[in-house]
Amino acid sequence: MKTPNVLKIALMVGLCFSTVSFAESNNEPQATEVACHYVTKLIPQSKTNASSNDWFFWRNPSMIQTLDADGDHGELWQKTANGSIQYRKLYHADKTAVEYMPADMPTNNMNFDWLKLSSMLNQQELDALKPVKKTKILGHNAELRKGKVGTQSIEVVWLLDENLPARILRKDQTSRVELNLVDMTSLSSAHKKPISVEDINNYRQIDAVDFGDMENDPFVKKIMQTEGHHHH
Amino acid sequence: MIFVQKLSVVAVSSLCAAGIAQAAEPTPEAWFNAGRQTVINALHLKPVKKPAKNVILFIGDGMGVSTITASRIYDGQQKGGHGEENSLSFEKFPYLALSKTYSVDQQTPDSAPTMTAMVTGVKTIGDSLSVNHLVAHSEPNAGTVNTNKLTTILEQAKHDNMSVGVVSTARITHATPAATYAHTANRDWEGDADRPAGATVSDIAAQLVDFNLNGGIDVALGGGRTRFIPTTVTDPEYGVAGKRKDGRNLTTEWLSKHSNAQYVWNKAQFDAIDPKTTDHLLGLFEPSHVHYEADRLAHDKAGEPSLTEMTGKAIDILKKNKNGYFLMVEGGRIDHAHHSGNAFRALTETQQLAAAVQAAVDSTNPEETLIIVTADHSHVFTIGGYPQRGNPILGLTQGVGATKPDLDMLGLPYTTLNYANGTGYTGASNLQPAGSKSFKAAAGAWSSGSEGHNPTTFSPATGRPLLDSAKVENSDYLQEAIIPLTAETHAAEDVAIFARGPQAHLFHGIVEQNVIYHVMAEALGFAKDSAEEHEDKHHHGK
Repeated sequence: MKTPNVLKIALMVGLCFSTVSFAESNNEPQATEVACHYVTKLIPQSKTNASSNDWFFWRNPSMIQTLDADGDHGELWQKTANGSIQYRKLYHADKTAVEYMPADMPTNNMNFDWLKLSSMLNQQELDALKPVKKTKILGHNAELRKGKVGTQSIEVVWLLDENLPARILRKDQTSRVELNLVDMTSLSSAHKKPISVEDINNYRQIDAVDFGDMENDPFVKKIMQTEGHHHH
Repeated sequence: MIFVQKLSVVAVSSLCAAGIAQAAEPTPEAWFNAGRQTVINALHLKPVKKPAKNVILFIGDGMGVSTITASRIYDGQQKGGHGEENSLSFEKFPYLALSKTYSVDQQTPDSAPTMTAMVTGVKTIGDSLSVNHLVAHSEPNAGTVNTNKLTTILEQAKHDNMSVGVVSTARITHATPAATYAHTANRDWEGDADRPAGATVSDIAAQLVDFNLNGGIDVALGGGRTRFIPTTVTDPEYGVAGKRKDGRNLTTEWLSKHSNAQYVWNKAQFDAIDPKTTDHLLGLFEPSHVHYEADRLAHDKAGEPSLTEMTGKAIDILKKNKNGYFLMVEGGRIDHAHHSGNAFRALTETQQLAAAVQAAVDSTNPEETLIIVTADHSHVFTIGGYPQRGNPILGLTQGVGATKPDLDMLGLPYTTLNYANGTGYTGASNLQPAGSKSFKAAAGAWSSGSEGHNPTTFSPATGRPLLDSAKVENSDYLQEAIIPLTAETHAAEDVAIFARGPQAHLFHGIVEQNVIYHVMAEALGFAKDSAEEHEDKHHHGK
């Protein structure tokens, strides 16, 4: 699936804990700057049609960015000057950003949880799992937590200092979903850097609301053909 | 099939009785007399044959005939009646025609060539704004665009020392408002950053502020703020960066180039504007389109005026000119609601447009102001089944004498309003599970979707979903669509033209959409000038 929503898939690994989204809080901890390389695997019970997806995750206090391994698709969340969250889907090959206006979010019940976006799991979700043991992952302090939610068994290896998962495993009778950290460095020393916001601002910007009126636009046509005709 | 039949028993037994409107029904004599009175009124109808001092052109973007009918019923039911007998403000206008909306290259058009036809008198190709069809799509050369530009009714009005205004609930640089003042072969070049490298044709926002004819545009109210401010300036309401790469801040330029000028971006500032002392007003109330009327009060961060309030303020400023004015008012988000497959917001947007028309009717003299209400194109929005009189227009279809909703051949109830295509398809999408779709993501759910449900994938639907009144009458319900698409589409059937005032009687029969311009030009006395100009061009061409 060539959709630029790898973080969403990652969040879905943990979303089974709760569908509650928390509003932004001024008391939220400052997330450290970090650059991560993850692999997400979706393995149906039949083990046929298993899929694997490499992707990158970058975080600083005001920006979260993801990128598919092929470099074509990504997502960008930015805290704006007054604390709103601006979200854009990035189509790097087309030098185009599809923008979702902050004004539209209340109308849609949408409320981006910055803490959850920057950590992939929130505290409530972590608290639902029982600490099993302390460990080290790539030299970083970590803690293994396990638990069961409904029919699903969940296993999380949590990076204590970075507030990020090194591993999430969710299993039930139908499938197994895994998120595994491959590499992690500081943002400044990362070999693979995020696309600069300045460069992204130079992309063509399309308001997602306008798709209905852009049926003749070559870019809109193309992404509808590549994404819209994909039946599961 | 057995499963479906069992399910339908459960479905029907769980349905509440639909809330059929109860209102006094006229007697047979009253029906007869009302019909006769309509004819008597027609016999006494006197066309206003003198020239118009003012022209107000209202556009319901995507407001096809089915949208008007459904909105009329919705509005009437909100007032406590059956609904069908109700009339929206503009439906009381004395003159009516139908408009053929196709463009030079499109059977089903977009808003750019349709508005171009209405304000220039010439049909053109898709995506083009007030340039003729000889200009290639996305022509970047300003000289070529200028050679082939079509003079708009707004420009002619300004040339004639009238005042001019543009009001919209969409971005003020969006296709419909833009066609009145801008000339470009790509409707999406709204800001300088939207144009390709090397393009010399000016972007639409710049064309609005750089419009220099006789003092420039007098009133421009709508959305689209970010394309007026540079990347170095953040939006005052949301903190997002501006989109102009050329460093121009068009909002401050507006203030510096005009006398008695104001720029406002929220409701409090808008309310504080005194029309007596303001001659040039730029109001940009959102970074992109303004809120749907249904969401405006609850969700707008800084507050923004309604379309009715913007229309009233615009008229109060423009009417100071003794030479008259031209005003275009667009209900731009009827179209967006339909694209999202959400009938509720399309109907409430149409209600608001009707209120804006009423405000214009109330504040103008029918002997001197021509008011036209029309649409640029229709949508694939249908009113079906055999619902009884007064059946809730957003509800399940319930036939005459029935106490429960009608059932389809699967044994399931269905709604009166539906879409032929779009996002309400009931197969699972990448954003929502199989079954009925909602305009909104589930409360609190993490979603990367935008307004409404805009999926990129659908799985084939199995059967139809189980519906009940509470679900389908919810403001966020997406009516079922037959063909799954990421956005519902425009439709090709004719749209209505309603008119009152000087020369309104010239609207009759089924006309090409560009005739709307020619009636306005006739009413304002521009027709002779235009004919001579065209004749001159013809000779020069030889």
